[in-house]
Amino acid sequence: MAAPDELFCWEGDWGLPSVSTDCLVVLAYAQFAGAPLKLHKMSNPWRSPGGSLPALRTNQKDTLTRPSDIIIHLRKQKYNADYDLSAKEGADSLAFISLMEEKLAPALIYTFWVEPKNYVEVTRRWYAEHMPFPLNFFLPGRMQRQQLEKLRLLRGDELLESGDELEKELYRDAAECLNLLSQRLGSSKFFFGDSPSSLDAYVFGHLAPILKSKLPNGKLQQHLKSLENLSSFCTNILLLYFPRDDRESSSQQPASQPEGGDFDHVPNKRRKQFLSALAALGAMLSYALLTGMVSIQHVQQEALEEPPDLRTIGSHEEDGDD
Amino acid sequence: MSLAAEAFVSQMAAAEPWPENASLYQPLKEDQILLSDCATSLAVQAYLRMCGLPVQVVCRANAEYMSPSGKIPFIHVGNQVVSELGPIVQFTKAKGHSLSDGLDDVQRAEMKAYMELVNNMLLTAELYIQWCDEATAAEISRPRYSSPYPWPLSNILAYQKQWEVRRKMNAVGWGGKNLEQVYEDVSQCCQALSQRLGTQPFFFNKQPTELDALVFGHLFTILTTRLTSSELAERIKSYSNLLSFCRRIEQTYFEDKSS
Repeated sequence: MAAPDELFCWEGDWGLPSVSTDCLVVLAYAQFAGAPLKLHKMSNPWRSPGGSLPALRTNQKDTLTRPSDIIIHLRKQKYNADYDLSAKEGADSLAFISLMEEKLAPALIYTFWVEPKNYVEVTRRWYAEHMPFPLNFFLPGRMQRQQLEKLRLLRGDELLESGDELEKELYRDAAECLNLLSQRLGSSKFFFGDSPSSLDAYVFGHLAPILKSKLPNGKLQQHLKSLENLSSFCTNILLLYFPRDDRESSSQQPASQPEGGDFDHVPNKRRKQFLSALAALGAMLSYALLTGMVSIQHVQQEALEEPPDLRTIGSHEEDGDD
Repeated sequence: MSLAAEAFVSQMAAAEPWPENASLYQPLKEDQILLSDCATSLAVQAYLRMCGLPVQVVCRANAEYMSPSGKIPFIHVGNQVVSELGPIVQFTKAKGHSLSDGLDDVQRAEMKAYMELVNNMLLTAELYIQWCDEATAAEISRPRYSSPYPWPLSNILAYQKQWEVRRKMNAVGWGGKNLEQVYEDVSQCCQALSQRLGTQPFFFNKQPTELDALVFGHLFTILTTRLTSSELAERIKSYSNLLSFCRRIEQTYFEDKSS
């Protein structure tokens, strides 16, 4: 049998298998369809074969980056979660996926990348902490610019002010979309029958980050939590299809929270401390040399003469202490 | 449209009845209007006719710049200006004219979802074919779009528009698609609409809704507009119930005046 396809995704957090909506959609669909994928979770988009995440490398070495393309590819490999749907249900899936892309996706971009508090305290911090060293300085900012551009073009406005007006408008659309989804779901477990389909994967991918992230400005989250069937839909899928991630987060939280402080869980803490000390030392030395407080000549003379003195003083003191 | 303005509009709207001299603005019909604008404009006209609200179509070369949201079409009713189908539906609803009152919650959710499907796939595909297919852009879109303007300005505006649409395509992930994939998406969308319609006269039983107006606007325009290739219309023609749906709406709501 051929080697399995390889899927590259953003790492997970907040009890989710991945933090990005697109990655969640693909992961959920692969789980629903039972597709055997070799999963690489990473936090460096430059190491993905497509240059962005998610990406699927097929065993013919093609690379797919759009979630819909990946799902179509999996479907062609006979991993089809929509097999049981009637033609009309398939049509409904397509319609509701469009509804989310038009009404919910802009609000998601706004809430994670534009709302200043959320962006600075959660999104940028998460990406900056998880990306490897030189990338973490500029990639989060670049990602934000891409998302802003996307939001601007989706709305077709010339200029985009992050004001109350825009926020209200986007959140109103998103809240309406959530209500419609909630009405469509009703009291059933999944959107169509007893087994999940691609629509369930899309809904899960869009809603789970809203539900699980800990944003300072959580208006969307509050609204989602008030729609009980939708929020239990998300937690159900997490429990049934991603039990490992859910447990990891619940075991991690008590361990990480007592440490408390905001800056305590920086990865590679020792190395960073060492590097910054080195940089500070270098700066002090070069300042001293440049201003002439220490000259090379002087240092050389001292190097020849002083060490014996120092040693004698040091040994005297030690003797004294003893 | 801003929220405050919207609240104001709906308040004002409720106070006044629909006037006789309401007008709908769109670009010049013969020389300028493009497929996508024609489709959205026809959708609004169909909607207003379904509601039984009289409106006079006015063609202006600078309609795009007159519109409050920069999009075609917009209506001028009394002393208010409203653009695009969604807000216009809200506006007429505030005046007491609504087509979707008879639907239950689930049906209303489905109606909204299918409307977004049309916007998301058909409208995007129309824009793609107009501006990203180089043959269509060079032969039809750029000359038509810039027809009212003198020489240096016409080129600047046409290329500016094309550049803007292409960036939008990249943002929604259609940038990497080729023409064949776009046709495939159109087929998929029509397949979904055709399944949903089935053998009913309208999408939701016997009464037309704004969804019917929107679908009619797009399909009828695609079927009756000549492009460099007839592939787009051919894709729709393979769904016979959609064709008879278009014919039915045309006969019911447009026949008397078009003759």
